[in-house]
Amino acid sequence: MDILRIENLSKSFGKHQVIDGISMSIPEGSVFGFIGENGAGKTTTMKMALGLLSPDAGEIFVLEEKVRFGMTKTNRHVGYLPDVPQFYPFMRPREYLRFCGEIVGLSPAQITRRSQELLDLVGLGETNKRIGTFSRGMKQRLGVAQALINSPKLLICDEPTSALDPVGRKEVLDILRQISSTTTVIFSTHVLSDVERICDRAAVLHQGHIVLEGTLSELKDRHGSSGLAVEFSHPSDTHRFCELVPQRLIAQRTETEVTLSTTDEADERRVLKLLAKHDILPVKFEAIAPSVENLYLEAVS
Amino acid sequence: MRTYLAFCKKEFQENWRTYRLLSMIAVFVALGIMNPLTAKLIPTLLNGMDMGGVILEMPDPVALDSWAQYFSNISQLGMLALIIVFCGLTANEFAKGTLINVLTKGLTRHTVILAKFTVASLIWTLSYLIAFGVTWAYTIYFWGYETLPHIVVTFISPWVFGLLMIGCLMLGGIAMSGIYGALLAAGGVVIVLNLLNLSPAVHRYNPVTLAGGTYGLLAGTSTPGDFIPALWICAGATVAIVVGCVLTFDRKQL
Amino acid sequence: MNSLMDLLPVIIPLAIIQVGLMVAALIHILTHSSYKMGNRILWIVVVIVVNTIGPILYFVLGRSDEERS
Repeated sequence: MDILRIENLSKSFGKHQVIDGISMSIPEGSVFGFIGENGAGKTTTMKMALGLLSPDAGEIFVLEEKVRFGMTKTNRHVGYLPDVPQFYPFMRPREYLRFCGEIVGLSPAQITRRSQELLDLVGLGETNKRIGTFSRGMKQRLGVAQALINSPKLLICDEPTSALDPVGRKEVLDILRQISSTTTVIFSTHVLSDVERICDRAAVLHQGHIVLEGTLSELKDRHGSSGLAVEFSHPSDTHRFCELVPQRLIAQRTETEVTLSTTDEADERRVLKLLAKHDILPVKFEAIAPSVENLYLEAVS
Repeated sequence: MRTYLAFCKKEFQENWRTYRLLSMIAVFVALGIMNPLTAKLIPTLLNGMDMGGVILEMPDPVALDSWAQYFSNISQLGMLALIIVFCGLTANEFAKGTLINVLTKGLTRHTVILAKFTVASLIWTLSYLIAFGVTWAYTIYFWGYETLPHIVVTFISPWVFGLLMIGCLMLGGIAMSGIYGALLAAGGVVIVLNLLNLSPAVHRYNPVTLAGGTYGLLAGTSTPGDFIPALWICAGATVAIVVGCVLTFDRKQL
Repeated sequence: MNSLMDLLPVIIPLAIIQVGLMVAALIHILTHSSYKMGNRILWIVVVIVVNTIGPILYFVLGRSDEERS
């Protein structure tokens, strides 16, 4: 069953069409990277999935249940971490989680147990100062804790790492990876290395459309390798090889190594045959996997 | 009900820890004390002055003077304090986005409105009762016990007007997502109602008359009938505004 | 005619509240360095000059929640 399914969703603010008929589905149990440049409409899409904004057209389903604007029942399955989570500064972290727990209907005993688990998970177990005095990174981590209070099946995070320093970013990504065994995680980002680090699925939102969607390995396979790295033991081999291979393929050349940019497998087979036919023995023959960055740049260009 | 109580608890905690509750109580205790004191001091001060050879002979102050001060202070200082303390009641939540977390957890929007109105009203009620009690106690201390005629209509009127102000602050804060919206709504309503009051025919129906006008009941210059229509209109308007808050919030995109 | 003695039961509690509010606000202003709006000098002046309302103006509009202690 899909944890989240979006069908023909559209939304505009005034004359600006932010989301233009997107559809996608996210199966349970994945870490889903929602990629797009700033202002691409990632937050807008997420807020519609939470019933905070009303779509102009289209439907969103959480576990096959339709999301309605305003008060949506589907939110009982969902935890949400806003890009800049805002708390009541006069509360302490435990008090805030108690308040959240009361709202989702946990018993006092459950609240105490769950708060402790979550605060330990996000590394705030020992902190008892008011939230107003928290650093940006601490608030982000408390944000993860409050989003998980109702043990949701789906956690939606809006740019959870974008305003954090490298240490804070690593902490948050580690927490997300840790919970992904029990919770499907969707997170939006424009930081592609984050996607590479923890996601197994991704979609790229560009100018209101989904231009790329699938599992990371699928996407990489579909686009094949983006090149070959061939290394020789002797410069003369390099020289011979470069004479034989079609010039358009050569991207970069050093004394002993040649990088080829290939567009499909046929190119790669041709290179391999060429080497065999002329009896040149490379010391390395390696397909270069496309990075998410390659995929992204290709998709949006 | 569970979420309503949870949110009420949060509101009380907020009003306590942000010094709002203490501020309200302090101001209204001070206001209660000032009334008999001012009534006592005014003749003393004026008698001491040389008004260009004219000697002002002020009559000795009476209990009624203390109540005159009460209605004057409640309608000005009291309302001002109420507006300052609660101008951020809804506005702050929207300006900062603190409701997003809890609304996505299944807290219904009307619960937020009702809980906020409940707690602000309770604090206002407590403050108002304190000011009334302190003034009454000192008035009895200085001038002895006298029964207050039409006590219910006389003293409930400024309180009902205060509830209207809380409603206006909430609606303005929701509609315009900021403190300025709240102040504009409450201030705007007060200004418009005062302009309407330029026509004497409107007095009976105008909620702003309730803020301090019921002194006339104690002085014997008015009758309860002069205020009953305004009381109903003010109460009705408050209910309508709270409903308006719910409807506005339900349609609000966050 | 009132003598001051007669008025003491009124003046003392009033003075305690007004001075108390002022001192509480002044202590808060001096022990914190950032404010939601305005600056330290402005708030000190407001709290001292505007009787009763000044301190609550500070607590509601000036006091910062984000202060790192």
